[in-house]
Amino acid sequence: MTTTETAKTVKAFKPNIYQGHSFWRAAWRAITRKVSRVIGFLIIVMFTLMAIVGPYLYPKELPIDPNNIYAPLSWKYPLGTDFEGTSNLALIITGARYVLLAAALGALFTVIFGTVLGLIAGYFIGWSDSVIMRITDFFLTVPSFPLLVVLSTVWNFGHPLAMGFILGITSWGGMARAVRSQTLSLRERGFIEAARGLGLSPFYILFREILPNVSSYIGMNLLTSITGCIYAEVGLFFLGVVPFHVNNWGVMLNMAVFSAGAMSSPDALPYLLSPLLALLLLTLGIVLFLDAVDEIFNPRLREDI
Amino acid sequence: MKDFLIRLVWRIFSGLIMVLAVASLTFFLVRMMPGDPVSAQYNQLIMQGMTPVQAENQVRVMYGFIPDEPLGEQFVHYIWSMLHFDFGQSISYEGIGVSHIILNAAPWTLILVFTGLVASFLIGVLAGVMAAIKRSSPFGTSLTVSGSLLHGIPQFVMGLLLAYLFTTLWPILPFGAPYDSSIDPGFNWPFISSLISHAVLPVVTYALSSYGGWLLTMKSSVITVLGDDFILASEIRGLKSSTRVGYIAHNAILPLFTLFTLSIGFMFGGSVFIENIFDYPGLGNLLVKAIDARDYPLMSGTFLLITIAVIVANIITDFLYSVVDPRIRR
Repeated sequence: MTTTETAKTVKAFKPNIYQGHSFWRAAWRAITRKVSRVIGFLIIVMFTLMAIVGPYLYPKELPIDPNNIYAPLSWKYPLGTDFEGTSNLALIITGARYVLLAAALGALFTVIFGTVLGLIAGYFIGWSDSVIMRITDFFLTVPSFPLLVVLSTVWNFGHPLAMGFILGITSWGGMARAVRSQTLSLRERGFIEAARGLGLSPFYILFREILPNVSSYIGMNLLTSITGCIYAEVGLFFLGVVPFHVNNWGVMLNMAVFSAGAMSSPDALPYLLSPLLALLLLTLGIVLFLDAVDEIFNPRLREDI
Repeated sequence: MKDFLIRLVWRIFSGLIMVLAVASLTFFLVRMMPGDPVSAQYNQLIMQGMTPVQAENQVRVMYGFIPDEPLGEQFVHYIWSMLHFDFGQSISYEGIGVSHIILNAAPWTLILVFTGLVASFLIGVLAGVMAAIKRSSPFGTSLTVSGSLLHGIPQFVMGLLLAYLFTTLWPILPFGAPYDSSIDPGFNWPFISSLISHAVLPVVTYALSSYGGWLLTMKSSVITVLGDDFILASEIRGLKSSTRVGYIAHNAILPLFTLFTLSIGFMFGGSVFIENIFDYPGLGNLLVKAIDARDYPLMSGTFLLITIAVIVANIITDFLYSVVDPRIRR
């Protein structure tokens, strides 16, 4: 290629001008770039819809059918029935709300606690940093699942908000540490020094200057925290250490394994496999979609703006 | 050498502080509990016709403190007996010391966690190197996909699936209990083989649930090292490719040690699920049983021992790291 040709191609390059909705457009483009991402996105949308409208599709007390206890898969009962003859599909759909809402709140709390503490520790350094990091080390070291099990003896998990709060409390450690280390390197950069020189308040600098720069990391973590929270809460219900207030996937697993003996009696198998299937499908959706999220939030991976 | 000793002392000291913090957490948790189990136990003993002094002694043996004392003194008594490795007496296993019960359960958990950790580390690291070197071939891609899928599946789902597949659908492995109860325990082949065959499924569950993490981290670490100048230099000098893979692996494995810390906590935490699913008599199973039976002294003791195990394992990992990586010793 000669120099003039190169010059021509350089001239021909027209940068995309920033438009109001370019973030959403870029996000959409990132999702539709691969089939796997579209599948992941659709699975997540399906579960979100299930959580929002699911409970309205069925009467408050799910109908029981004593003639069809542990019925096999059929058109009437696509996932079979449980020990009372209630449709497993209905149980999965109505149970999604508590599970997903608590997980979303848990992830939100994780991200808020982790980000705020990480920002403060990394920006102010000194004693606040050492105090916060000692607390972080404590929460990172104490195995969080046994801690949750122990806390379940005093905490009432009936409301998704209560569940989300406790999930957030036990899992913000890794997030705080990562945000702190990013803040530590950002605070030495020129634009932060300029902001400090201008006499802007530390809180302005923290939330308007530094926070946008760590937002890509936060976005990625929000999604991975949701999966972590789903597993932790379903696990708590599965172990049966939490009183069963509402029907959800963990309660189904617990009843199937420890009451219905689904491991040894093939009749009860659909009852065990339906919540497992729901969890695996959601995992698959999130794993496939994470790839797109990585590209949306990490500008270096983006092919066009 | 002096620095090394100072670091060791400091790590052990901060580990002790952490144990103390967990002990205080469980102490105040039991006090905060709805219905105050300690006072309830005390009142129940009085109702059974004990004198207040007898009841007080009994409660003291069980919980390590007396309900009528001021909170501060209770706390000091509790910590004091804990320093003597006395975690009180179990309520559900009547009259047996908590320390006796948890020391019997601990080896099962330690063996499972340790074997699972080593197995997943070795397989994950090897697969990670393969996935990085063959990353543009279908083989490499499928390794990576297997890693991220297994990484995403929660431990209890994995455990339930494996238990269903290999004990019900194809009953090739035994389910539950650490060994066949019809065999006399002893150092003989039938007993050992029964021990191993019962441990296979829990260990495989542990290994599969953390294999993905090792694979993905090792892969990205190897890809970073592949771009280093010394790899290019060794290629130009015409070193054998097996020698080069050795160089790459040695340098790429170092960042994985920081992951060890998180992994150990994850494994011990997972014992709650895995031991429950396979009905294995370790610490995680004990913790859930203690909570079901509202046996608070046993619950506190088990939780504390799980935490101590994680803290000790972390300290050991930290020092192994400084032995393996000469750069951080400076």
